[in-house]
Parts: sequence; C-alpha cells; structure tokens
Amino acid sequence: MAVFPFILIKVLDKGVLNLGLTAREVMDTRFFTLGPEATVAEAARAFEQAGRETGRTVFGLLVTGADGQLMGMLSIYDIFLLLRPKHIHIWGEMEDLEVSGILEAACGRAKSMLVSDIMTTEVVTITPETHLLLIIDIMIKKHIRRLPVLENGKIVGMVYFSKVFNHLRELLSS
Amino acid sequence: MPIIAYQNVLQGLTVQEARRRQVIRLPREAPLEQAVRFSIKYKVNALLITGERQEGVGVVSKTDLMGAYYAGLPIDTPCEAVMVGPPLFCRAEETLDAALNTMRSHRVHRLYVAGEAPGLAVGVLAYPDIVGLLYRYCLNCQKSLRRKSGSASLPDRFRVREVMTPGIYGHQEDDSLHQVMEGLAAYRLGAVLIRDSEGLPLGVVSKTDLILAYKHAIPAAAPAREVMTAPVQAVEAAAALVDALKTMIFADVHRVFVYQDNPRNLVGILSLSDVARFRSGTCRACLASRIKLEEGP
Repeated sequence: MAVFPFILIKVLDKGVLNLGLTAREVMDTRFFTLGPEATVAEAARAFEQAGRETGRTVFGLLVTGADGQLMGMLSIYDIFLLLRPKHIHIWGEMEDLEVSGILEAACGRAKSMLVSDIMTTEVVTITPETHLLLIIDIMIKKHIRRLPVLENGKIVGMVYFSKVFNHLRELLSS
Repeated sequence: MPIIAYQNVLQGLTVQEARRRQVIRLPREAPLEQAVRFSIKYKVNALLITGERQEGVGVVSKTDLMGAYYAGLPIDTPCEAVMVGPPLFCRAEETLDAALNTMRSHRVHRLYVAGEAPGLAVGVLAYPDIVGLLYRYCLNCQKSLRRKSGSASLPDRFRVREVMTPGIYGHQEDDSLHQVMEGLAAYRLGAVLIRDSEGLPLGVVSKTDLILAYKHAIPAAAPAREVMTAPVQAVEAAAALVDALKTMIFADVHRVFVYQDNPRNLVGILSLSDVARFRSGTCRACLASRIKLEEGP
C-alpha cells in the first residue's frame, strides 16, 4: 500500500491512465520572463506590465537566460525577503521608535539589486502531460502556486493555482 | 538564608522564547553560489549545512564564504568543502543564560535548537534575538521608568559617545579586496572603512559586499572602491542613541561610524546590539544584565 501513491503518480505522469485534464489543458501559454541581470526596479516594472496585459495581479516571473533556458523564478516573496530589514526582530520590539519613511528607504535600497542575486533557482517544473491531480499534489507539498511547464527543456507554459482551482470548481459545482 | 550568587534579567527565560523557527539550510553538495545567494536573500550570517537525513553536519558563515573567495575556490565548489562542523546545538527548554554561556565559550553568535531526531534543527538562536527579547522584557517590566513616568517612550539618557567603541580600522580605496579580507579576518570585523588618498572616509566594505563580489566574479585583486558601499553611514558622537538607531534602521545596517565635530573626522563605531542593550536599561536588573551581555560575543 505504501507504494501506491508513487505508482499512481507515475501512471498519471506518463499518461498511461487517461483521467482527463493535464497541464496542457490548464496552462497559460502566454507567460512573462525576465533576464537575470535585470534590476529589482526593472522587475517591478515587468510585474506591473504583466499585470496590465493579463488583467490580473502577477506574483511570479520566470527568469530566463539568453537562449531562453529557465534559470529561476522571481516571486513577490523573494522581493519581500529583500525588503525585510535585517534586524527587524530587534527594532520591531521598539514600539516607541518613530520609523515613518522606512519602507521608502528599503525600496530605494532594493531597486538596484540584481534579479540573479535574489531569485529562486530550485524551481519545480512539470511537463504538458503532468496530470492535474499530480499538479495539486506538488502545489500542496511544496507550497507552490505556479509551475513552469517544460517540453524538451523548453518553456511552453505556466500552470497557476487559480487556473487549477477554476477547472476544479467547474467539476465540483456541476 | 540562601545566598543568591547569580541573578539577572534573563533568569527564567528559555531558548524557546527567543528562538527563530526558520532555519536557513542547504544540502552539503549545494554550490557556494547558492550559499551566497541564500545569505543575501534571507539576510543571515550563517547557513546550516545538512546531510541526507536533514541532520546538521556543519555551518557555512559569511566568513567562510569570504575565505573561499580569498582562497580562489570556484563558486561552484560544494558547501561541504568550506563548512565548519559540527554545528553547535542547544535545547528549547534550556535557559538563555546557559545558551549565552555556550556562545561565549565557543565564540559563536548562534546556536541551533535541537529537535527530537539526532542532529535535526528545529530553530535557531542568534545573539541579536536575545537582545531583542531583553528589550521587550524591559519595556514591559513593572519597574521600567517608562511605566512609572507614564511616558510613551523610554528616556534617552544615553549619548552615542557613551556607548560607541572608540577607534577605526580602515583601508585605502586602492587596497585590493585581498588586503581588505586579510584585515577583516585578522581583526574579526564585519566591515571596514575605506578612505580616499587624503584619508577621508569614502565608503564601507562589508562581508556582504565581498561575498556578492565573489558571486559576481569580481577578481580579488580589484580595488576596494569597486565594491564598497557609499556613503558612509555616520552619526555625531553627541547625538542621542535614538538618532543612531534610526540611522541604522533606515540604512539596514547593524553598525554606524561615529564622528566628532564633522563627518570627515570619524572617531568610533557603534553597533545595533550595543544601542538596543543600552536603551533597554531602566532598572538595576537590566543594568546587571547589561554587564553580563557585554562579555558576550
């Protein structure tokens, strides 16, 4: 019994058992990328542009090399980490301290940092044939909300948590 | 009548109350490039290096990364080649006093909190965390002058000159990063002042600047001015501690230089831990604790 989930995952991933939805059906083929040498200020503008073009808030961008290979991802969380002051655990205790303007100062410092210095390189990827149940499993276990889809090493799309939920919602409510 | 041989404000507080649960860790085979990136990204001075069972097998600090840069090791060298081990552990139920003693005797600034399984870390206790806890403790203390006076803020009795460490260690802007690293290692410093040819303060090179230079493949023979952070964050010796604290918080640094009369005349250095400790002292228990902490790393 212990190996059953593993076998199920293998079967689902290889498409041996056709249970319907795979990454191909739920992925966005339009995705946005950044170069590793972009600054955080440029990344912020890219987030803004991607949001404008998609009509929703974009929380993560792919980082790609000159030949389009996936090098990492930059998420809002990575930027939050950069903005968080080093010793907030000390001065955060100092309720009597006036710190207005500190956020502007933190943003001013972060602007010139390079995307390659703060991006996440340990990116979990899937293939177009990865089944929706396996995608859910990865999202739960790894606390991931977006997964790049690679086909023969090339990025072909992105699967978003919200899109997965939308597909499931239709199935659940029908 | 029992004789109280040892008493201070940390008495009764345990590691559990000051520890951080997030342990930044990397597998032993992870490249140094990743260790640099994690140090920068999570703003930590050291990373726990783990084995196959997630057990702690060593620690890679910014000093170790700087050493790798100095030695010319390739940036894809695995962490286990430079890690120092085994990591030092404490227990969550241990007193903060005992943990501080362990830090002092081993001359380290952090301990990992041991979990159930052997070698497994479930938290980290860093020296600044204890200072932060001490501050909160004193702020809420019934004996606090702030409570007694009904004031919203602690009295700023202290001036920068009373708390600073006098003397400045510096390098010339043309000195190589090699020379800067030698100076940092010899004096066990986190950063050095960089001066121009006339001896005036120009910038600061910290271990963070150096490990970023390592990641960006800047040769260690490059001059210090190439990687230094400018301008120098400095406060006047006569300023109130709260002003120094604000300067550090806004610049996100844990030390500032101190000047006398004009910003070109630097006379000392002030650390965030020093400021936090002195601003917490409003009663005898705190003063006793401060004396104890001053012996710390």
